[in-house]
Amino acid sequence: MGKPKAEVDVSNCLACGGCISVCPNDAISMCAGKAFVDKDKCISCAICIRTCPVGAIRGEDY
Amino acid sequence: MKYDIVIVGSGPAGTVTGRFAAESGAKVLIVERRSEIGVPVLCGEGISRKIDEWDMLEGDRWIAGRMDGARIFSPDGTMVVLSAEVAGNETGYVVYRDIFDQELAKKAVKSGVKIMMNTQALGLIKEDGKIKGIKVKNFDKEMDIQCDIVVGADGVESRVGKWAGIDTTLKPNDLETCCQYTLTNCDVKDSYCDFYLGSKKAPGGYIWVFPKGNNVANVGIGILASLSESALAKKLLDEFIENDRRFEKAEPIRFLAGAVPVARPIESVRDNLILVGDSARQVDPITGGGLTHCLEIGKIAGEVIGKALKEKDFSQEFLSEYETRWKEIIGKKLKRNYMVKEILHEMEDKTLNMLADSLKDYKFDELSTLSLIKALVLKHPTLLMKLKPLLKLSEL
Repeated sequence: MGKPKAEVDVSNCLACGGCISVCPNDAISMCAGKAFVDKDKCISCAICIRTCPVGAIRGEDY
Repeated sequence: MKYDIVIVGSGPAGTVTGRFAAESGAKVLIVERRSEIGVPVLCGEGISRKIDEWDMLEGDRWIAGRMDGARIFSPDGTMVVLSAEVAGNETGYVVYRDIFDQELAKKAVKSGVKIMMNTQALGLIKEDGKIKGIKVKNFDKEMDIQCDIVVGADGVESRVGKWAGIDTTLKPNDLETCCQYTLTNCDVKDSYCDFYLGSKKAPGGYIWVFPKGNNVANVGIGILASLSESALAKKLLDEFIENDRRFEKAEPIRFLAGAVPVARPIESVRDNLILVGDSARQVDPITGGGLTHCLEIGKIAGEVIGKALKEKDFSQEFLSEYETRWKEIIGKKLKRNYMVKEILHEMEDKTLNMLADSLKDYKFDELSTLSLIKALVLKHPTLLMKLKPLLKLSEL
């Protein structure tokens, strides 16, 4: 099992785009009006998790 | 499908650029991934009086309240009052951003701009490395739109810039992560935009209270992403509201999240491509305000696009007139305020309290750096050392 990867809880995401703008590996994009993490690109840095103002992103073990 | 210009994003930067490009003869399409312009609102909704100079909005439906000025509260609660004339970018009007954005869009349409909603930009179309258009998805239908210039007005999370090789990724210390309640039944009567500073209240940012009339107010927070933890912004905002008697009987009618770039100005031009608004980081790094910049710079972008069409020259070299002109207007200010932002974030609460104490009786009819520093040092001579970096900046 590797490091936890970012996972968006779509019911809490308010689509502010903050996570997308700080992701150092372009792993997040807006999909159907919510942030979406491409797990293959996520490097488990957790910057998006800390950035989210409402806690809609958490780390999920993979 | 062929247009002269395709603009990604229907915020103020996109619609103003579109309007002025159309007025200088361009066939313009704006693509917007959402299903209503200006919705959801992602903004504190404060704007400076400067907007009156440009006469870009009809009527006054977009105005929620006219402000008399701003009040800044230091960590220990010392209040500094600024009149609207000197308070800068953040105060003047509190607006309804949804209506504001739609009014700008109406103007654009009147000038001939076409708008396609529910349309996501998927990537640039390139031939031999040259940008020839943009791939979009309208509902389920993918389509290629040919154009001479793609305009990235796609906000803080801009993808368009990245597709053209401009690094728009923000460092966590260059992003304010925000959330805001619109509260009703507040005990907020006067017309001042209030700002609250402090490392415990809002690390690397501030809390704001912007009145919208009829006891409605926007109460929001922005904190620096590098000092943020998961959901910290919301937690600190909830605590502020909980402990402020003005909001004892208030309830939310809206909650939103936002993200504001507080970065140095970046490159905004490539062959066949320009960036406007938040995507080009045209935001004051101290206040996080960018609305007036969008209006002023969008007009320049539109005019330069018009010239490019006449000359049939869409090279980076030709389009760089846009970059030169917008950096002439706000480049210096953004660079200086970026450094001030860095200095402010280094300051301890104690220093901020001293600053506020020095400034509280200062008559702000003019806001020159020198007169400001004189006032500061007169009252708290020890501030001089702490403000040394700011003094250096006053020479810029």
